[in-house]
Amino acid sequence: MTGAWAVLGAVVVTVATGLLLRSREGRISTRRAGPPAVPDLPEPVRTLLAPGAAVTLVQISTTFCAPCRHTRVLLSDLAGRTEGLRHAELDVTRTPEVAARLGVLRTPTTLALDPAGRELLRVSGVPERSALLDALRPHLISPIG
Amino acid sequence: MLKDVPVDPRGPRFSAWMTTLILVVVLLTGWWRLLAAQTVLFAMCAFISLKLNPWGHVYRAVLQPRLAPVSEREEAAPLRFAQGVGFVFALVGTIGYAAGLPAVGVAATSFALVAALLNAAFGLCLGCEAYLLIRRAAPAASR
Repeated sequence: MTGAWAVLGAVVVTVATGLLLRSREGRISTRRAGPPAVPDLPEPVRTLLAPGAAVTLVQISTTFCAPCRHTRVLLSDLAGRTEGLRHAELDVTRTPEVAARLGVLRTPTTLALDPAGRELLRVSGVPERSALLDALRPHLISPIG
Repeated sequence: MLKDVPVDPRGPRFSAWMTTLILVVVLLTGWWRLLAAQTVLFAMCAFISLKLNPWGHVYRAVLQPRLAPVSEREEAAPLRFAQGVGFVFALVGTIGYAAGLPAVGVAATSFALVAALLNAAFGLCLGCEAYLLIRRAAPAASR
């Protein structure tokens, strides 16, 4: 009898978790958008900043992340077609402290950084192409690059 | 440890449904020997090769020929990591049931069921999503 309740409980938890994670997939957050001061960016991220690009998308990945591959395909294609946008991937499998310093808890998480390394926004999970492009547009047409 | 080639993503989904079914039977019957067998299966897939997964063979022999081919492929490393997470829960569950601690058996098996069903029904790999959380919680074990 306990077993039947456990099955029921597990199904309820699964559906709730699945729907929650699905609703957060591709969510764009500007919560951590940096102050005007020069940000304290971890070195492995700073070296990825593309010179001359208005926005660099830094995708935080791990080896054990299946949707990271889909995200890589989507973002590199988007960067290839968009003026001033670059894409770089950082694998933090062996350097989880970098993810911790960035406040990244799940992969893929994509940070959009300006040339000074300030965070413009971040995307949790596989991004939604048109929503991301809409959110980036104001930063891309600024007279930087 | 063998290196696995990328696989048709529908194979692991089918496999996750089979794992879900087995774990439901374990919870309903308390049959710990079945959970022990599932634990061994998790271990073989995680630590040796995904090719040892019998559900993968069933998928390729019976289901794949009837489905339209897809070009999409999934990397093996996340799948094996997920099997390793399943192994830990199933091992704790087996020990719980076998040692006369059914509460431990039920709790651990329920966690494994949530992970398997999330994968089967939503295509989500909980262990992979939570990899960074696991590393943060247990940094000492990984260094």
